[in-house]
Amino acid sequence: MRAIRFRSPLPSFRPPLPAFKGRLHDARTATVVGRVLGAAILTCFVTGVFSHYLQQPPSWAVDVLPSRPAWGYRVTQGLHVASGIAAIPLLLAKLWTVYPRLFEWPPVRSVLHALERLSIAVLVASVLLELFTGLLDTVQWYPWPFPFRQVHFALAWVAVGSLLLHIAVKAPVIAESWRRARPSSTDPLPDPDGPDRRSFVAAVGAAVGAVTLTTVGQALGPLKDLDLLGARQPDHGPQHLPVNRTAAAAGITASSVSGWRLHVAGPRPYELSLPQLRAMAQRTATLPIACVEGWSRNGHWTGVPVRDLLDHAGASAHARVRVVSLERGGNFGVSEMGASYARDPLTLLALSLNGEPLSYDHGFPARIIAPNRPGVLQTKWVTRLEVL
Amino acid sequence: MKIRLAVGAFGLTAMGIGLTILLTDPYVRDPIDVAQWLAGAVLLHDGALVPLVLAIGAALRGPRWLRGPLRGGLIAAGCLTAVALPALVGPGTPAGNPTVLPLDYGRNWLIALGAVAAATAVVAAVSAVRARHTSRREAAGPGD
Repeated sequence: MRAIRFRSPLPSFRPPLPAFKGRLHDARTATVVGRVLGAAILTCFVTGVFSHYLQQPPSWAVDVLPSRPAWGYRVTQGLHVASGIAAIPLLLAKLWTVYPRLFEWPPVRSVLHALERLSIAVLVASVLLELFTGLLDTVQWYPWPFPFRQVHFALAWVAVGSLLLHIAVKAPVIAESWRRARPSSTDPLPDPDGPDRRSFVAAVGAAVGAVTLTTVGQALGPLKDLDLLGARQPDHGPQHLPVNRTAAAAGITASSVSGWRLHVAGPRPYELSLPQLRAMAQRTATLPIACVEGWSRNGHWTGVPVRDLLDHAGASAHARVRVVSLERGGNFGVSEMGASYARDPLTLLALSLNGEPLSYDHGFPARIIAPNRPGVLQTKWVTRLEVL
Repeated sequence: MKIRLAVGAFGLTAMGIGLTILLTDPYVRDPIDVAQWLAGAVLLHDGALVPLVLAIGAALRGPRWLRGPLRGGLIAAGCLTAVALPALVGPGTPAGNPTVLPLDYGRNWLIALGAVAAATAVVAAVSAVRARHTSRREAAGPGD
C-alpha cells in the first residue's frame, strides 16, 4: 500500500517534547497488557449487547428468547460489570505504556498515519467514557447531560469497532510479540527488561484481582464478605434483598393497593382478589433478581405460575403477555413477555418472598419473577395481565 | 492478510453502527454533549492523570527489591481508589433507597488500602531476602 507522505515545511524543527526514560513503554508490554484488556472489553461488549437485546428484543426474537438457564442473565450481567471493573486497571496500564506515542514527531506522517491516530483517539475516548459511565451507573450517579443507556450502548459499538480496527492495524506488531515470547535458538539474547516487565504485569494483575475481589461479591454470594467497594450488598435490603425502585419512588402506598384485584384480559377475561390468588395452586421457585447494574441474589419466590393464569383466560400456547404495573413514572411500568417466558413453569406471579408476603418495595401485592431475565422486566405491583 | 482486512472492516462497520445510534436515537438530543465528554475524558486522562502517575513513578527511589513491590502496591491502591471514587465523592445513597451504597465506603476504602500496604510489605520482605541470597551466591563465585 502506498501512503501519501506529507513533506514537513520545517524538516529540522522539533518542539520541546517530553522524553521518557522508562523502558516499559514498549510494544511487548503494550501487547501483554493489551491482549488481556482486549479480552475484557470483548467480554463486556458481548454481555452488554446480550443484556440490551434481552431488555429490548427485536420483535422476531420475543418468543424465542431462552428462559433457561434460570441463572443465565445473572452470570452474563455479573460478568459484564466484573469485566468492566477489571478493565479499569488494564486500560490505565495499557495507556500508561503507550503514552509516549502521544508525543510522536512529526505528529502526522501520512494520510494513513493520520487516520490511524484518529482511530486511536476514538478508541481511547470511547473506552474511557464507557468505563466511566458504566462505573457511575452502578452507584446510580448520572452527572452528564445525555441519557445513560442509549449513549452507553452506542459508544460500546464505537469502542469495540475501534478496538477491532486497532487490532487489525497492529496485527504485525502483535504477531511479532507472540513470536518473541517463545524462546528460540536464533534469538539467544535474554530480554533485559524481562524481570521489570514481569514485576509490572504482576502488579497490574494484582490490581485487577484487588478491584475484582472488593466488588464481585455483589453478584457472587460466597465472596460477599469481601464486597467492600461494590455499590450493593446482596443481602442488604427489605427481606434481605436489594431494591432498585422503591414503592415510594413508584408512588405506591397502602391506599393505592387497598382493594387490589388482578385483572386478566384475554379470550375469557376474569378478575381475582388477593385471597383468591392465594387459594390457587402455588409453586415455589428459587430464582435470582439480577439487575442491570451487576448485583444479583437468589430468592425463594412463591406464587401462581403465569402459565396457569393464562390458561384460565383461554390464552393459546403461543400468546405473549403484557404486564401492567400500578407504578407511576419510570420506564418499566409496562413490560411484555414472550411465549418462551410465559409458558415456563418457573415464571410466577409471585406473592411471597422467602416465606413472607412481599414487602411493598418488592412489589406487594404481586410481582412477576421469571428465569433468565433482567431485573427491570420483573415487573412489580402487577395489576393487569393482558393476553396478546 | 484476509483475516486482518476482515477484522478491520468489521471494526469500521461496528463504529458506523455506534455512530448511527448516537446520531439517530431520539433520546440523544445533542450528540455534541457526548463529543464534549469524550474529549474531556481524554484531556483529563492524558493531561492530568498520566502526568501525575509518571511523576510519582519518577520519584520512586530505593533498591530494586523495594521499588518493584512499592510500584505494585501503588498501582493496586490507585486502581482501588479509582473504583471506589464514585462511592466516595458522588451524591451517595439516593433519597428513599438505602439499599444503594449501603456501606461505609470511606472506612472500606481504608481497609482495602491497608490490606494492599500489608501485602506490599510482605512481597518486599520476600524480595529483600531473595536479593540478599542472590548477592551472596554471586559473591561466592560462579556455579550453583
